[in-house]
Amino acid sequence: MLASHKWLEELTGLTLDVADVEARLTAAGIEVEGVTAMGEGLDGVVVGEVVSYRPHPERQKLRLVTVTDGSAEQEVVCGAPNVPEAGGRVLLAKLGAVLPGGFEIAERKLGGVVSRGMLCSETELQIGSDESGIVVLGDDIDAAPGTPAVAALDLHDTVYELGLTPNRPDCLGHVGIARELCALLGKPFTPPVPLSIPRVAPSGELLPQTESAFDLGLGSASSAHGADGLLPVRVEIDDPDRCPRYGAALVAGVTIGPSPFWLRYRLHVLGLRAISNVVDLTNLILLGWGHPIHAFDYDKVRGSMIRVRLAADGEAMHTLDGEERKLTADDLLICDGDGPVALAGVMGGGNSEIGDDTERVLIECAYFDPRSVRRTSKRTGLHTDSSHRFERGVDPNAVRQVLANAASAIAGLGGGTVVADALDVNPKPIAPETIEVRMARVEALLGTGYEPSLAERVLRGLGCDVQATKAGFGVTVPTHRPDIGREVDLIEELARVRGYDAIPTELPQIRPSEQGTPELIRFTRRLREAAARAGLTESVNYAFLATSDLKAAGVSERTVRIVNPLSEERSVMRTALLPGLSQNLQCAQRQQVKTFAHFELARVFSPRAGEQLPDEPHELGLLLWGDRAEWYGEGDELDFYDAKAALERTVHGLCGGRIETRLDDRLQADAPQLHPKRRARVWLDGHEIGVLGELHPETVERLDLLGRPIYGLIAVPALLEAVRAGGATQAHELPRFPAVTRDIAVEVDEALQAGEVAEALREAGGERAEQVKLFDVYRGDQVAAGHKSLAFRVTYRDRQETLTDKVVDKLHARVQKAAEQRFGASVRR
Amino acid sequence: MDVVAAFEEGLERGASEYRTAFEEAEDEQALRAANARFVGPSGALTRLMKRMRELPGERRKEFGQRSNQLKQEIAAAFHARLDGLAAAAREAELSGPHLDVSLPGRGRPVGRLHPLTQTKHDLLDVFVEMGFDVADGPEVEKHEYNFDKLGFPPDHPATDMQDTFFVASEGVESEARAVLLRTHTSTVQVREMLARKPPLAVVSAGATFRRDDDATHSPMFMQLEGFMVDDGITFAHLKGVLTHFLQRIFGRDLPVRFRPSYFPFVEPGGEVDMGCTICRRWQRGDAAGECRVCKGTGWIEILGCGMIHPVVFEHVGYDPERHTGFAFGLGVDRITMLRHGVPHLGLLYGNDPRFLNQF
Ligand SMILES: [Zn+2]
Repeated sequence: MLASHKWLEELTGLTLDVADVEARLTAAGIEVEGVTAMGEGLDGVVVGEVVSYRPHPERQKLRLVTVTDGSAEQEVVCGAPNVPEAGGRVLLAKLGAVLPGGFEIAERKLGGVVSRGMLCSETELQIGSDESGIVVLGDDIDAAPGTPAVAALDLHDTVYELGLTPNRPDCLGHVGIARELCALLGKPFTPPVPLSIPRVAPSGELLPQTESAFDLGLGSASSAHGADGLLPVRVEIDDPDRCPRYGAALVAGVTIGPSPFWLRYRLHVLGLRAISNVVDLTNLILLGWGHPIHAFDYDKVRGSMIRVRLAADGEAMHTLDGEERKLTADDLLICDGDGPVALAGVMGGGNSEIGDDTERVLIECAYFDPRSVRRTSKRTGLHTDSSHRFERGVDPNAVRQVLANAASAIAGLGGGTVVADALDVNPKPIAPETIEVRMARVEALLGTGYEPSLAERVLRGLGCDVQATKAGFGVTVPTHRPDIGREVDLIEELARVRGYDAIPTELPQIRPSEQGTPELIRFTRRLREAAARAGLTESVNYAFLATSDLKAAGVSERTVRIVNPLSEERSVMRTALLPGLSQNLQCAQRQQVKTFAHFELARVFSPRAGEQLPDEPHELGLLLWGDRAEWYGEGDELDFYDAKAALERTVHGLCGGRIETRLDDRLQADAPQLHPKRRARVWLDGHEIGVLGELHPETVERLDLLGRPIYGLIAVPALLEAVRAGGATQAHELPRFPAVTRDIAVEVDEALQAGEVAEALREAGGERAEQVKLFDVYRGDQVAAGHKSLAFRVTYRDRQETLTDKVVDKLHARVQKAAEQRFGASVRR
Repeated sequence: MDVVAAFEEGLERGASEYRTAFEEAEDEQALRAANARFVGPSGALTRLMKRMRELPGERRKEFGQRSNQLKQEIAAAFHARLDGLAAAAREAELSGPHLDVSLPGRGRPVGRLHPLTQTKHDLLDVFVEMGFDVADGPEVEKHEYNFDKLGFPPDHPATDMQDTFFVASEGVESEARAVLLRTHTSTVQVREMLARKPPLAVVSAGATFRRDDDATHSPMFMQLEGFMVDDGITFAHLKGVLTHFLQRIFGRDLPVRFRPSYFPFVEPGGEVDMGCTICRRWQRGDAAGECRVCKGTGWIEILGCGMIHPVVFEHVGYDPERHTGFAFGLGVDRITMLRHGVPHLGLLYGNDPRFLNQF
């Protein structure tokens, strides 16, 4: 909402300081987001009087105009078609002036003639939107040649840009903002009264002037036919819930023409284009009262009647913007005797628009149900100045006042007369409500006392009627404040107007809760921290992606779908973390990053049969790729074992459990996106927690990646279960007797997993074989083709005594024998 | 040569040569080699002493003593020289060229938590220290919990402030617009209040979603939400908790101001501005100035807050006459960007290792 400082001064009758207005409104919740000074940069632009003009010797379209600025005459070249005759007044930019666009006026030769200045149009001075010709001052402007343009046209103003919250429709008009300002300043406020305009009865007889501002002769009709026969228009409301009130007034004998400069300029500073006097006035009423009105060409309203009804499903109408709208039975229409003329509260139709030849203007001022207007506006995608106000709630009881102001203004400016006995059809009156505010409650909520006399003053300032009660006040809330519906809303008003600075700052006593923070939340945090300590960098990806991303990553495509996505790229919720991480890797590869080791810990989504909400467990994904390179040597590429180590280090940041990677025949079903020969199930102390492996070469291709990335996926609930099952780590006594180590090299088939061999060796060694550790894997000349040699170091120890060589030899022999028997291994001694 | 002569000569030569030999040895290895030439297993003196039995009995004692004496002399000289060499080596190292300390450290690079996570943790920690519990809730949420229970009026423009993604689960029948991506973490407020009874002090942080995608809005963003309900909680407490929080994060001298604002689920509602931490105008004391972040105002809007609306209490079965409480929410993205000077939002969700590894 843009607000004019000058207009606010007119409405409040106060001299206001810009910085003070800005500070007070902002402190009261009407945030001033910007302040723009208008009428700046016009030094050197003055009123000039045309002395004479003659054609340009060479160029047909140009004229040489002699103007005087009151003290000197100069000849300027002008291309405008509307140069007035001698004595006409124009705006002259003198030599040396710099126009708002930065254009400097200097002596210039145009077709061989020197021009000493420039006659300006509205757009050149940025004081309006008319670029069809130069500004010619009308008789209403009393300014002698030489008067600065700013003074002559009263151009100085300041425009506030207000960031209004949706609960304050009253401030969508200058009257409301002025009322608010007066309340904040503790000054009385009186709304503007209609102009005094000659009124005629439909018979043509002149009626006496009335004193009362609101008595335009509006009939107090409660039925649609109330004024039948007087005003030649009939109003019928089929749906009083959606249209509780409809007022109409008729102005006859109007001449359509351009608005005077002051009106054009006011609309200009407030961001609207001037069109014609009647249309400009409806806009001025909208910006002034915050109440949208609609002007129809009465002679185009067929059947001299207005009917407010719901559209039929599929009914069509043409709106002013030239579109054909398909309507539903949830859209409210304003119709004449033949059909729709407006989408109620949203936009007019083209058929009864004000035109150049309009003589009689039918003005509509109504109150429509906010929800109904909003649904229509949403459905049609038509967000207009009108719908914006109706859906926030205009004042139903301002209808007469607004109508009176509108009718008198249109008659005043258009040279017409207001036809008496306009209609006010009000089948469902909306009365102000009375709410009690208890002063004890005010204090209990704000944490500080509030002087009752101040409370009363504040509430009255906001337009409320206030009656003292035992506990506080009975407050009758004006209907221009639909946001105030209960006591707490009044408490906010009290707090707001006095300012939140008046409330002290205190720390509360916080009592410990029984529940505390759930384990999963603490666990995911520790897990994240452990993963980072393990050398992995955290990614945070969008939770939504494209279905094709899921397909490429070979993960579940049973999705939670976004019904109204911004783009296909982000239209389903992720079912796995791989797509996001792989996109991160892809970017990194394109940026020539050499090493990539990321993790992400986030929710993944899968539909649950018969449940409204999907399952969204946490998953930990890790993706590694690239050089293992460290500065002390060009390393090889990161591989499965680096990923496994990262996983181990991560888990060891949480517990002392043992990570194992094993094969099983469900891997193809669970991890089809991984390399069939380079993937494994991940176990932690006997619990399955995830999978780990190189991406399948086809997955790599589909994801448009390079090399051999390794992906790991841990189900966080399973990991938490495993860690929880392990319980608190139990301490072991340290060994008191020395260990003895013996090595054993076992040559086995390539297909055999070293873990299996190690496990067998440890078993064969019995209790005293404390540890079997792989320290070398050899393939080459020394072993048969298709075989590998695994070298283990076995640590023997007895908890009760020092082992002798003899005993160790015996144990080790058993281990060697087991290796031969179990694996047909040739044991290298 | 007869054995007596051999002993005489051997002892004499030994006595005359070992000093020179030791002195000539310039390092430990040479010294040990020289030592071995005399007293090693096949050293000259060792060999000689093995012949002791061949000596006539009356000379054995004399030569025995002389041999041992020489051996001791050599041992003493050896150790003295060894110590000397060690001292010289240490001296040389201590006065020699410096280790190249500029070489990079060796080992695995460490990983990093995402700056959003780091910030989230830091923010949560302040509340946890004050006594708040941490809670969590689903990201796909019911309309009821995201809007209705919070008192959003149906078909009200307040929902425009939160343009919503609606979702449908494959194979699950659901009313249109009944399920959505939560637009704020206030859903956790509803869920916690439904599940628990006061006193409550809870804070929650996580992903939220709005249909917005431009230079300053990301369709997914991180929000932090907190609320407290008990007997006698006031707006003054709200001011206390939030002022304390912001000053813990941004510094004790940070100016904080509260302005009225509107959110359907709080009343009175407010917004909190803090001094701009980029231009720090409050420290410089001058009036206006250029600042990209606060546009010269010196203030940054940082939090939305208010007293929990009685309608919310009614929806969760609390007695609004008895319990009062406050709630607040803030953008973790925004605080992250302010703290770390992140120039644009795209960097936060781009996950470029070159960006993330800066933190
Ligand atoms: Zn700043």
